[in-house]
Amino acid sequence: MNTPLAWKNLAHNKVRTGVGVAGVGFAVILIFMQMGFRGGIERTATQIYDALEFDLMLRSPAYLHLTEPRFFSRMRVQQAASLPEIAHARPFYLGLSEWQAPIRYALPVGREGEDPKDPAGQWRGIITLGTDPNDPGFSREDIRQQARMLTDPRFVLIDVKSKPEYGPKQGTKFSEQDIGVETTLGPERIRIVGLFKLGTGMASNGACLTSPEGYVRACPWQTIDDVNFGLLKLHDPGQGEAVRKKLAQIYGIPLHAAESPEYDKLDAAMLTNSDVEILTRAEVNEREEYRWVVETPLGQIFQLGVWVAVFVGVAIVYQVLSTDIDNMMSEYATLKAIGYSNKYLTNVILQQSVMLALVGYVPSLVISWVLYRLVENASGMPMFLTTEIMFTVLLLAIGMCVISGIGALRKLFQADPVDLF
Amino acid sequence: MDSQTTIPATSGAFAEGMHLPKTVQVANVNHYFGEGELRKQALFSNNLDVRRGEIVIMTGPSGSGKTTLLTLIGTLRTVQEGSLKVLGNELQGADRDLIVRLRRELGFIFQAHNLFESLTAYQNVNMAAELVGLDPQIAEGRIKSLLTRLGLGDRVHYKPKSLSGGQKQRVAIARGLVHKPKLILADEPTAALDEKSGREVVTLFQELARDEGCTIIMVTHDNRILDVADRIVNMVDGNIKSDVAVQETSVICEFLKGFPLFADLTPNTLSEVADKMMVHEADAGDVVIRQGDPGELFYLIRGGSVDVLIDDGTEEKTVAQLNQGQYFGETALITDEPRNATIVAREKSIFYALGKADFRVVLETSATFEEELRQALFGRQ
Repeated sequence: MNTPLAWKNLAHNKVRTGVGVAGVGFAVILIFMQMGFRGGIERTATQIYDALEFDLMLRSPAYLHLTEPRFFSRMRVQQAASLPEIAHARPFYLGLSEWQAPIRYALPVGREGEDPKDPAGQWRGIITLGTDPNDPGFSREDIRQQARMLTDPRFVLIDVKSKPEYGPKQGTKFSEQDIGVETTLGPERIRIVGLFKLGTGMASNGACLTSPEGYVRACPWQTIDDVNFGLLKLHDPGQGEAVRKKLAQIYGIPLHAAESPEYDKLDAAMLTNSDVEILTRAEVNEREEYRWVVETPLGQIFQLGVWVAVFVGVAIVYQVLSTDIDNMMSEYATLKAIGYSNKYLTNVILQQSVMLALVGYVPSLVISWVLYRLVENASGMPMFLTTEIMFTVLLLAIGMCVISGIGALRKLFQADPVDLF
Repeated sequence: MDSQTTIPATSGAFAEGMHLPKTVQVANVNHYFGEGELRKQALFSNNLDVRRGEIVIMTGPSGSGKTTLLTLIGTLRTVQEGSLKVLGNELQGADRDLIVRLRRELGFIFQAHNLFESLTAYQNVNMAAELVGLDPQIAEGRIKSLLTRLGLGDRVHYKPKSLSGGQKQRVAIARGLVHKPKLILADEPTAALDEKSGREVVTLFQELARDEGCTIIMVTHDNRILDVADRIVNMVDGNIKSDVAVQETSVICEFLKGFPLFADLTPNTLSEVADKMMVHEADAGDVVIRQGDPGELFYLIRGGSVDVLIDDGTEEKTVAQLNQGQYFGETALITDEPRNATIVAREKSIFYALGKADFRVVLETSATFEEELRQALFGRQ
């Protein structure tokens, strides 16, 4: 059993090693947060899509992102419904409307606006969803149940994950107490008849659900025949490709365009003069991610944040390792004099780097998990500590430390046994 | 005729051990520091042979080049000019692999201990044992016995932080010795030690040299340990000023003291005389000096034996036989007359010879010494 010099050196100088571990930990937490935010953005839109029931989605080729979906003719959904492979073809409405935070009648009249933070009476943008209460487009059973209450165009369900600025009675979040409250959505009066739980991430701070008729009241620039999404549920989800081809034929979308490998990347509207495009669930998620992470600066900011964090980590670990080498210059030179090769010494330093990375990583993982939960609760942005993130960050942490180690090695190679005499 | 050599008598070249292989052979080594205009020569055509099992002490003022020579021998510097062989390997132009391999056969003891603070005494020593692939169990026994021997038996598992300066130095010495190096290079190994542990260390050196044929080259100014040296090399300004085999010099001095005219000389003067003597060799039957020739040299028989023949005009008669430790040829030098006898070697013999001029100077010194002594004694009354 060879003397574990790397480990002994780390274990001996606890203060310096502590600084190193803290440095690695700091950098690792930074990376975790940046990746979490990035993941949160990726999931922003998919959070709503995940709650919807569809194998194929119809939407306008001019679709930009979740809150600017554009619309197309409801006829397209009805055409799809005629295919025997399709079990359900549901129109779905989604748009950005305006919500006036309800006046709290408990407050004395005339005093409700005194607190600058009091949202009462103020207008906010809100995601408005519209679906048939008798056959909701949601896959989640709890939402399906709640949606049955939307028997009147004036009835609205409010998302409990909506922010306090939408004026819940409790002040923090919407609850049973808000049921029955009346306020204005778009140009019309509505009544909150119930709650549902969805969350909309970065796209908006709040959401409400109503019937198609209710949606048209809230968003009068659309008619009931202008739908935002067509949710197609197949009998056999494995038939997606075949159904898509059939539909493309019906809609007059050139097949070569749909089959082109560039289809995903290019603006579909340029490839076809059709008013609709057909996407699988995977494509929907992928494009939404691409939109937020690549096309908007948001994803790039957090991507850059990851690299900045790695850079900070490299600087800290380099400092720790090179101070360590500096302090033990004559010891390393002695090892060289008695016949240890540079290869051995390189190994010692790289082992130290990897150990620092591992020791720094574990507590950071725990702290990051706590921070994810805090951020999620505070901002409503979905933060998932996936194994992919854990693994990526671990690799980045090790890579970061190894790079620092290699940098610090230059110093080690300068250790000259001649100086010992 | 005998053959005169340029080998000084005190080099020990003809003493016991001449058959042993040479561990270190330094031949015409020059060394320079700096580049271009600033280039400065540090070593001037150094020659030094060290045989297996010898303990060599290098002395000289600081800046005399002894450390430079030591680091050259220790493969820590590149040989620039000349030839330097260590354990039979030429270092001039040696590749990296040979150097790393050779270093594992050497034992270094530095002035500073350079122990890893993170490792215990045992682990520090073990770093050297692991390197040569010593069997862990054998290594454990050796490490423990070495440390015990050096008075650290109860501190085997202490870290350097809890050891005194001298104790740390002794751990470093154990590290230099644990892998049974064939050549130990030490720089002031006893400087940080008290007399008792310093003595223990040099005794250990002696045992290694005697029992395991380990060669030891030490730079030291510690005159408490000079007695262990087989050879003392004195360097001045990059030159090897003297390279003296201690044992052989003492033998010569003893022989010289047997010569009545030198009997009163101090050991210091005697060793100076010894320094001036050169080696002569003769085979059986060789005439060393011939009766009637002018006398130029004074001879001391280091080995072998000779016949003294006197030609009384009619025949040549052997009048005496001289053996090791005896001398001849002095009369002609004292009286300034031709040789009064012929000396013929009976067997292969070695003589140490002193030139006429040097011999005369010594005689005068001897007289002066006596005179001085008389004056001094007289002055006491």
